Amino acid sequence: MANAQGFALLGQSAPDFALRSFGGTNVRLSEDRGDVVVLTFWGSQCDVCRRQLDMLDRSFTTYRSAGLHMYGVSVDDDAAHARQFVAAHPLGFVMLEDPAKDVARLYQIDNLPTTVLIDRGGIVRHVYRDFGPRDEALYLSQLRELLNE
Amino acid sequence: MQMKNKILAMVVGMACSCAAFAAPPPQSSAPSSAPTSAAAAAAAAKAKAIGAQVEAALAGADSGAPASPPAPGSPAVAGAPAGAAPAGSPVTATAPPGAADTRSLDEDTQQLKKDVVDLNRDLFVLEEELLFPANTQVAVYVSMDVGEFFALDSITLKIDNKEVTNYLYTPREVDALLKGGVQRLYLGNLKVGNHELVAFFSGKGPDNRDYRRGASLKFDKSIGAKYLELKIEDRQRKMQPEFEIKDWE
Repeated sequence: MANAQGFALLGQSAPDFALRSFGGTNVRLSEDRGDVVVLTFWGSQCDVCRRQLDMLDRSFTTYRSAGLHMYGVSVDDDAAHARQFVAAHPLGFVMLEDPAKDVARLYQIDNLPTTVLIDRGGIVRHVYRDFGPRDEALYLSQLRELLNE
Repeated sequence: MQMKNKILAMVVGMACSCAAFAAPPPQSSAPSSAPTSAAAAAAAAKAKAIGAQVEAALAGADSGAPASPPAPGSPAVAGAPAGAAPAGSPVTATAPPGAADTRSLDEDTQQLKKDVVDLNRDLFVLEEELLFPANTQVAVYVSMDVGEFFALDSITLKIDNKEVTNYLYTPREVDALLKGGVQRLYLGNLKVGNHELVAFFSGKGPDNRDYRRGASLKFDKSIGAKYLELKIEDRQRKMQPEFEIKDWE
């Protein structure tokens, strides 16, 4: 999970968006201002994404009561594949559909999985592109930092 | 220090954007642009003044001196260097020597913050006036009443067959509308003449079924701002929601 230092949005205000969740409700990012938000962009055909989603789910279960919101944004071309994936892998956090990839473009996603950590002030603080076996510790320490701010 | 840098960056940024606003518009012959340009110039001057103030405050903070000259008789400028009490004088429980400086700096910072907020407000008003002049402005609002037969999910708005907005509503936004809130869904510009507004409402209708309805209105845009309202109401007699577009003259 290499921290993307050169990522253009680092230190910038996270672009606002509204997306429909697979559960049917709509989510607007700006409504979570004041809490830490983790956005992860995934695809149903991406094996690494599955492992990362499981890891993120564990952290969400642990820290949700500390003011953590987490959203998985599907960038699948075929919405049916994404729905199948969500049905087969029930996770604790909300999964969102981005069929037109507007939000993925907004966040300049060029690799899957990409995870964006947004602080309580709505600023993009960390961006991770890719996910390796030793990256969980780094992610957790940076997440804890943000939650403690 | 970091906070001050942020304030400075913000003020400098505003000064830049203000200067951009202050630049004469391409069609400066329009009569409505004259007062706006004057306001822009005033806002630009204000932004520059605040920027200079912030820089002075920062320079003062860096050198350890107060940002602005303290008032005469202030304990901060008693003549002696801070912390140097005369020999043999009794030690009293007075404020620490640097406290007055810090207080003065805090007051300056608060004043600067207030100025930045005021400037931001002025710039916002100015931006609206420039981007959406009253002569061409058209604004579309949404209101909702009761909502027993319809749970709003999204509204798509078309003006003259061109999609201008597609808005997804979160449960919190729907709650706010049901509590009497009115949302400005769209703000744009239109030429004088006849236009058509079409709104598509989607959500859950009676018995929790998917529900999609449209409403349209042909309206005449004259000189002056045009205000339109999309009203979602329950029709108790028909047990159905009703969608209406109201033209506020």
